[in-house]
Amino acid sequence: MQRFIEFVVRFKNYITLCVLIVMSFAMMSFGDLSRLGGFRAVIVGSIGWMQSVFAWIPNPVALKSENAQLRELNLQLSIESARGRKAMVENVSLRKMLDLRKRVDVDLIAADIVGKTTTQLRNYATMNKGSANGVKEGMSVVTDAGLVGHVVGTSEDFAVIQLLLNRDTRVAAKVQRSRVDGIIAWDGETTLALKNVPASFDVQAGDMVITSNYSTRYPANIVIGRVTKVEEETNSLFRKIIVEPSADFTTLEQVFVVAELPDEQRRDLERRVEERIRQRTMER
Amino acid sequence: MSIIFDRSLFVTNPVMRYIAYAVLALFLSVIHIVFLRFIAVSSVTPDLLFILTVWIALVEGQFSGIIAGFLCGLLFDVVSTDVQGSNALAKTLAGFVAGFFYKEGFAMTTIGSARFLMICALAALIHNVVYYFLYTRPMETGFLMFFLKYGVATTLYTTVAAVFPMLVVNRQKDW
Repeated sequence: MQRFIEFVVRFKNYITLCVLIVMSFAMMSFGDLSRLGGFRAVIVGSIGWMQSVFAWIPNPVALKSENAQLRELNLQLSIESARGRKAMVENVSLRKMLDLRKRVDVDLIAADIVGKTTTQLRNYATMNKGSANGVKEGMSVVTDAGLVGHVVGTSEDFAVIQLLLNRDTRVAAKVQRSRVDGIIAWDGETTLALKNVPASFDVQAGDMVITSNYSTRYPANIVIGRVTKVEEETNSLFRKIIVEPSADFTTLEQVFVVAELPDEQRRDLERRVEERIRQRTMER
Repeated sequence: MSIIFDRSLFVTNPVMRYIAYAVLALFLSVIHIVFLRFIAVSSVTPDLLFILTVWIALVEGQFSGIIAGFLCGLLFDVVSTDVQGSNALAKTLAGFVAGFFYKEGFAMTTIGSARFLMICALAALIHNVVYYFLYTRPMETGFLMFFLKYGVATTLYTTVAAVFPMLVVNRQKDW
């Protein structure tokens, strides 16, 4: 016994260490304070009370960190908000386009505009659908708002559209209300001009202008725009009629290609007749 | 007041010293919970109860250091609502390691010198290795990365905090 006591006294540090380590592990295996029920409630309550008493003291480090976090959160929310707004606008646009699809009885190929060339005399747009998707040269391109132009070139996956705001634009059109015919051409600005309308014909500001049955390039009854100004020209039999295009070319993002080519037989016949008349005129 | 702060009373009476340690431990634990957040750097704070453990180990010896480490750790586990026993184990080992540097009659000389900081750094390193090893067990995070990120930082911060008691003792050579 004496030797045991001597042993314990001699190695008390190591024995204590071992005992306390075992106790620590035992407590760890016992678990956290939640098993102590009311004791935990007292501890948590006391700590909470002490912290709340001194909670009014500002913590510059924490404030700085919180500020940085809030700034980051603000940035993220701004991005989310912008995305949300964009999605909402896109949603409205796409819904309108879906509606357009229901309204027309021809096949439409949906495409996104991926590039635009809108310098003064070259207004073209590139879309992400090409010959592989059934797009062919000469097909008309529309949006839910109205006529955009026609396809002038295709590759396998892309196609180039000649917009209405182009110096080569000539569209047989008519005023929807009074059925007056004319030719739509680009006036060099952001508007179009309805030409060849005699001064005596009934055209008023606000009239809707649509594609005519006479057009060999575009399907009939597609909205082109609205008459914004009708001016009488001195020393002329015709009026100067300004048409605001319905399609917004500055924010053009989604378009539909009308999967229908102009009637080749009709175009061929008209071309032959024109040629014959020209020849007869020359013979005379 | 002069009776309360009569230093000789604590020097000659070990019971008073142990009561003072207990009061100081409670006080430091409150400081730790309430005020240490103000000096937290990336959520790393110095361990005041650890410094007290090292102090006790150097002043009272290894045995007292082990006991003090266990009790301080237990107190810390309770007030920080940590896993019971994790801090107790780490601080018991810290007290044990610090106790190796105990020299009877030279405690204040040790504490008042840079040796105290080295002892703190060594004991804190062992303390944090053990503590963060236990801390990361239930996590998917690797121990080494976590220790390098927080363990080393806590060790350094605690060692820096140990400079203050060292300076206080260093200025009062008449202890």
